[in-house]
Amino acid sequence: MTQAGFAFARLLACAAAAVAFAAPAAAQETIKIGVITDRVGVAKPYAEPVTDGLVFAAKEINAKGGVLGRKIELLIEDDQGKPDVSATLARKLVDAGVVFIQSLSLTTATQQAQTVSLETKTPHMTPSNSGDTLTTQIQNPYFWQTGPLGSIQIATLMSYARARNYKKVAVITDNSDLGQLIAKFFRGGLEKAGIEVVTEEVVPRGATSAEPQMQKIRAAKPEALFMAGVMTPENVLVLKAYRQLGLKTPIFASYNLSVPQYMTAGKGFLNGLAFVDAYDPDKPEIRKFTAAYKKDTGKEAYNLHGYGYDGMYLMADAIRRAGSTDKEKIREAMQATRNFPAIMGAKGMTYTFPEGKRSGFDPQGMVVRIYEKDKQGKAVHVGAK
Amino acid sequence: MSGDASVLRASGSGEQAGRGVWAGLALWLLAAMLLSGVAFFLSSYYNDVYRKLLLWVALALSYNFLFGISGQIAFSHFAFYGIGAYSVVILLFQANLPLPLAIVLGVLLCVVLALVVAIPSTRLEGFYLGLATLAFAQLFLVVLNEGGSVTGGAGGLANYRLPPVFGMHLTGPWYTVVIVVVTLATFAILLRLDRSWFGRACRAIQDNEVAAAAMGVNVARTKIIVFTVTSALAGIAGMVYAFVDNTVNPPIFGLENAFLILFMVIVGGSGRHAGAIIGAVLLYLLPFVLSPLIGHHHALVFGVVMLGVILFQPKGLIGIYDSLRGRRRAAAGKAPG
Amino acid sequence: MQDFLELIVGASATGCIYGLVALSFLLMTRPTGVINFAVGEWAMVGAFAGFLFLSEWEWPYPLGVAAIVLVLLATGWATERIAVRPLVERGAPELAPILALLGMLVIFRESISLWFGPDPHPVPYPFEFARVEIGPLFGASLAGSNQSFVIIASTLVIFFLAWWFFERTLWGKCFEAVAINRRGAALMGINLSRVTSLSFAAGAVVAGLGGLLVAPNISAHYLMGIPLAIQGFTALVVGGPGRVEGALLGGLLLAFAEQLTVRYAPVPPGYAFGVPLILLIVFLLVRPTGLLKAREARV
Repeated sequence: MTQAGFAFARLLACAAAAVAFAAPAAAQETIKIGVITDRVGVAKPYAEPVTDGLVFAAKEINAKGGVLGRKIELLIEDDQGKPDVSATLARKLVDAGVVFIQSLSLTTATQQAQTVSLETKTPHMTPSNSGDTLTTQIQNPYFWQTGPLGSIQIATLMSYARARNYKKVAVITDNSDLGQLIAKFFRGGLEKAGIEVVTEEVVPRGATSAEPQMQKIRAAKPEALFMAGVMTPENVLVLKAYRQLGLKTPIFASYNLSVPQYMTAGKGFLNGLAFVDAYDPDKPEIRKFTAAYKKDTGKEAYNLHGYGYDGMYLMADAIRRAGSTDKEKIREAMQATRNFPAIMGAKGMTYTFPEGKRSGFDPQGMVVRIYEKDKQGKAVHVGAK
Repeated sequence: MSGDASVLRASGSGEQAGRGVWAGLALWLLAAMLLSGVAFFLSSYYNDVYRKLLLWVALALSYNFLFGISGQIAFSHFAFYGIGAYSVVILLFQANLPLPLAIVLGVLLCVVLALVVAIPSTRLEGFYLGLATLAFAQLFLVVLNEGGSVTGGAGGLANYRLPPVFGMHLTGPWYTVVIVVVTLATFAILLRLDRSWFGRACRAIQDNEVAAAAMGVNVARTKIIVFTVTSALAGIAGMVYAFVDNTVNPPIFGLENAFLILFMVIVGGSGRHAGAIIGAVLLYLLPFVLSPLIGHHHALVFGVVMLGVILFQPKGLIGIYDSLRGRRRAAAGKAPG
Repeated sequence: MQDFLELIVGASATGCIYGLVALSFLLMTRPTGVINFAVGEWAMVGAFAGFLFLSEWEWPYPLGVAAIVLVLLATGWATERIAVRPLVERGAPELAPILALLGMLVIFRESISLWFGPDPHPVPYPFEFARVEIGPLFGASLAGSNQSFVIIASTLVIFFLAWWFFERTLWGKCFEAVAINRRGAALMGINLSRVTSLSFAAGAVVAGLGGLLVAPNISAHYLMGIPLAIQGFTALVVGGPGRVEGALLGGLLLAFAEQLTVRYAPVPPGYAFGVPLILLIVFLLVRPTGLLKAREARV
């Protein structure tokens, strides 16, 4: 009952939030923002908290008077984790008159939705996706990304591990698109620093065991193991095989391992695992955020909520600076964003879109944390220097 | 569909046939204009939904011929959809071939691969054939995922657009016209095949292979031709799809959709073209309608409906329609059950 | 050498899971000719039942397993009653129950996803996770997680029971009779519908236990069904649907082929996953009866 109960309550809360925004005032008064999320598919465990954070932020903003004197109205659509549905929904949102689209679903879904934002010249962003190629594969001046890029993740991990002077490491990932992308950037970052990747292994979706892959890694004798996968069951398989084969190689994991799910699914296997995160629980802004969130919804917030919260505030700020809901003006204002304070990331981190670039997460803004027993510990390292 | 009646008339003799053919052609043209014309009145979103609906109809029609009329269970239909889509993109933008050549080569690739699958599979029965095609479809996904920069790997290919055709950039409602034409052409081809001796041979094989062979039908060859033709038609639909969102990636061509197309054909009425059309329209549009009501678990509804249809009305929705109209169609549409 | 011996244990465990799924297929296909592709979802039901009884409600393990077996029996029986019996009684074509079961597959999966959500859910190990070593053997030792040994042992027990059922009991002979000649068996007074019910119930238990055994490693999640069904069916085709032992043999061969390829073959890791698919295709085309031939009808 608990699981279904909570899910249903969350759904109700979201629906209530959406309804609350459904223009009690006349339609022209509100600023319509489109949100594409995944409520039922493979991205749900990640998309849902981000959405909750975003909705909460919108509520806060509206309580303080909204943007440009107008309230924000959220039009939330569910793409079920399917990229082509995501594109269709983007069109639906544009037709409904949104001035900005937030993509909170899978990386491939966000990619496919870009066809629409490019075609219709609608500002579009993702606050949570971390695939580097989202802003580089398609030249779409209307799209921004403030999620922690794979390249930033590896740079931060490498900076943390620099003192150990690794020469040979291994990478393991899964066969999802994001997992492959992150592995690619991990590998790139490592090789650029002159570190040899002795083997790169893949655990496919639906595998029942990661032992052969881990055996291969053991045989290659790396000094460290980098985990780039993003699927929970498969990552847990890796950790179990690691323990079972008696491996002692230090593990450095992508930000995927920061998701609280692992503390139940991977219980007992996490101790000592270092992972990169965009969340510092000691940061005053985070403390303020989690307290406010708890007060408002009665639930605990964690790192994923923060992405949505920041994304909403960033966007609202851009609209404010644009001074109108004209899409072009919003685009210019968004691209001009400099040093916008973030609740995510290391202490003092801000979002900036450098000249000509559309990914805004500060390359020095991630932290490394370590699992202590099964709990996520403090930030032990900051930045990628 | 009006096409049916006109083709029947056209099978008359001499002068009658001559006039019948013109009448038939006129009807097809009218249908094309109507269906295309709608596109110009739809907003971008509805246009998108409409286009994808037309493609599903095309796929359902060809799948219906394979499964409902020839009785071959296959899960490879979406793989061929994907082969068509990927091949046209790769040939156009990586091999830099001109559009007509890319299309022809793409179709050829589908035909060759279909033969590769069909020829050894002729002696596989029922679900074993399904399994073999399922394995093929999964292999296709593995190849896509491992294809590195050729297939774009797990992320797929994006960032391309349809090159100008005869100097025109076909976008928006004009591209929808292309899709209408392709869908109607698919329908016309399948209808023609169905009405010919070939169609009768297929139904005979589905009924009773041994009897069909005894009557002089070359069973193996017929099965191979059906598989190849329907898979090629799926591939052509795929080529058209590639430029709808200007993106191709592995999830689009996954197993879920293979199940869905089977459900569509069965729920609509397997073995009947009208059934395939109804099934596709219904099951494609249903989630849009259901979402606001029951949330997003429309797949559950589909499973239940599919089960219900098999248990209670094996002839599908078109069967209900028939019995309501009191019509009886002889020798057409053999449904499972 | 150590790697190889460890791989033997690991691959055997995986092979046993595949074998269990294959056995489940076999239990239903032999007497009824119906191919039930929903066995993967039955394994999923077993895994989620494990989550409910053992993780959520924290029943003691043996009690939980007993409860899960009951749930599975009911599931199998209900599936047969809903999707198969009405069609068989009506004389529907062979294809119909198979398609109806595909509908059931979707219903199972979506229901579970609706009830529990799409997140993976943990299922506890029967014994605390630990590494077991048996050796020394050729200078190294056979080693693996204790769960692997639990899986192997349980599978052997289940297969033994299945074999004993078919070889030594009257009911087993009835199954064989129905498999060989349905009408003849009916004429001899064998209650066909009872055989069918029993075969589905047993199939559900076997598949569900397979799901329960593998779930502590991979967590229970709503997408786990289809990959298992595909692997299980491949195992069945490879080993041969004629004999119970064939299911286990096929499963082991499949798992070994998969894992040895990943470990030793100089092929990019992604391609190694084509191995089971290629095996399936090859066997379907070249030797559809599988490696072990069915027993001849004995007079």
